[in-house]
Amino acid sequence: MKRIAIVIGCALLLAAVFAIAGASPSGAFDAFVKGSLGSPSAIAGTLRETTPLLLCGAAVFLALQAGLFNIGADGQFVVGALAAAVIGLKFAGPAGVALGTVAATLTGALWAAPVGWIKAYRGGHEVITAIMLNNIAAFLTTALVAGPFRDPGQQTPTTALLGPSSQLPSWGPVPSGLLIAILATVAIGWWIRRSVGGFELRAVGRSPRAALFAGVDSKAVQMRAMIVSGGIAGLAGAIQVFAFSNRFYADFSAGYGFNALGVALLAGQSPVALGPAAIFFGLLTKASASLQFAGLPKGAANVVLGCLIAISAVYRYRDARQREGE
Amino acid sequence: MNVANLLLGMLILATPLLLAGLGGWASERGGVIHIALEGAMTIATVVCAWVSMASDSPGLGLLAGILASVLLSAIHWLLTQVYRIDHVVSGMSLNAAAIGLAGVFDRVFHLSEGKAAPALPVGVFVGLSWIAMLGFAFLSDRTKFGLYLRASGADPAKARQLGIEPIRIRLAGLMFSGVLCGLAGAFLISNAAGYYTDGMTAGRGYIALAALILGGWKPRGVLLASYAFAFFMALQIQMQGSALFGIQVPREVWYCLPYAATIAALALSKGKTQAPAGLGRS
Repeated sequence: MKRIAIVIGCALLLAAVFAIAGASPSGAFDAFVKGSLGSPSAIAGTLRETTPLLLCGAAVFLALQAGLFNIGADGQFVVGALAAAVIGLKFAGPAGVALGTVAATLTGALWAAPVGWIKAYRGGHEVITAIMLNNIAAFLTTALVAGPFRDPGQQTPTTALLGPSSQLPSWGPVPSGLLIAILATVAIGWWIRRSVGGFELRAVGRSPRAALFAGVDSKAVQMRAMIVSGGIAGLAGAIQVFAFSNRFYADFSAGYGFNALGVALLAGQSPVALGPAAIFFGLLTKASASLQFAGLPKGAANVVLGCLIAISAVYRYRDARQREGE
Repeated sequence: MNVANLLLGMLILATPLLLAGLGGWASERGGVIHIALEGAMTIATVVCAWVSMASDSPGLGLLAGILASVLLSAIHWLLTQVYRIDHVVSGMSLNAAAIGLAGVFDRVFHLSEGKAAPALPVGVFVGLSWIAMLGFAFLSDRTKFGLYLRASGADPAKARQLGIEPIRIRLAGLMFSGVLCGLAGAFLISNAAGYYTDGMTAGRGYIALAALILGGWKPRGVLLASYAFAFFMALQIQMQGSALFGIQVPREVWYCLPYAATIAALALSKGKTQAPAGLGRS
């Protein structure tokens, strides 16, 4: 119920932003619906945007359960995607796809490892390390795709296109990548809720000290959570390459890692809620291009994201207080 | 490599880091984690550019920029102290909203379309950053307010027992923080000769936060760390396009230098031992 109130609140806020920008709210609403749901191709586009948001959201969600704020999902996504594209170009066919997916997962995990290590053993805040690594990931992948991995026939820095045998299929508007993302998210949710490892993760998230007294190596768990989270974000990068873009190019991520924070925070404590949250952000992302035509500046979606995060956090604090029974 | 250019570049590049880093000090010494330094600087740059341009007065622009940044800090205080949400979550949401709002302002008021706003000379900000450092060092060690601020940050519960109200002290700390981030944002406009570009804050708020951590949450430490980071940034500018051991290095590798230095600094310092003990608690 409260989640619905938040969504409605954001819609009102969006209308206010329209008013400031001088665009007509009703015209923009039309553009929003037409742009995200109005045609089979619009629906396919929305599902395409939902896929990386769901998986990156699951990655951020997992880290959040351990009390860690993985704002580095964007960088992990990008390095994973590059690894997948490079392997996929080297080995054609399903074997290359499988190998590329594994490589992307490992690269993402590796990219997240310093974040976990500095947090657990050096006391440096994970947000700072992760943001620095996001910048480095963006610069280095750009340098690599402009240099050694560049397709010489192209004007812009991009790799060559993957062959048809290395592309994941789509069934009508439903991409197979989305199915993989859903299965992976279910597995992640199950692991967090039902396994010993997931229990330890949540215990550390609630209180690292209490977990320590219960015999859990809190630092190792934090480190592991960050690495697994990075791996999931890397996997999202692989799916993006094999199912959608079929190549890697400079400025690869359209902010998926950051919007994933919104997805995870909107989902709150429930892994099931990751689905609707990802769809909501998928609609927003898909429609934003049409909204810009309707006169809404590009930043408006970020304003909504920020307010959404703050408002949902305020609600969660109220929930927690009510549970304590005031 | 030109040493004079390197040093001058260092002085310029360190100034926003020092200003925002001291802003972080005023907040975090009181126990409020302040990830939103970036957002505060961003909103200050865009408002400063807009008001300077509209009123044709750089002073008024500076004032408006500071006001916007103070307002953002006040929202951070409201969210973390009154609604008691997680400090990092609050900071992230404010960053997202500020960056989004800056984009909206840019579009609506046509800021980044090649017109320059009148701007104050850069030297003013360099001087102010040093004065602020000395002022905060004095405030921290010699005044009752500094003592209360550090008490609120070390153990808010005990501070309350002693009759200090951490919630009020923290508001004051965040106001200081807002003013300093506002100055840092206005500096960026001055340093760009009045030309606003979207995304011109470019993560400096986060590097300032790293400078605060590396500087051990002390004003002098923030100064040293800011200048150390600025050295790497100035070096990056000087080294661009030059070869290393005979190999042509892509310019992106040099862009990474300040960020890599930040990570190395975090990996080498044991942040937690020097951090205010009550950081993030209410």
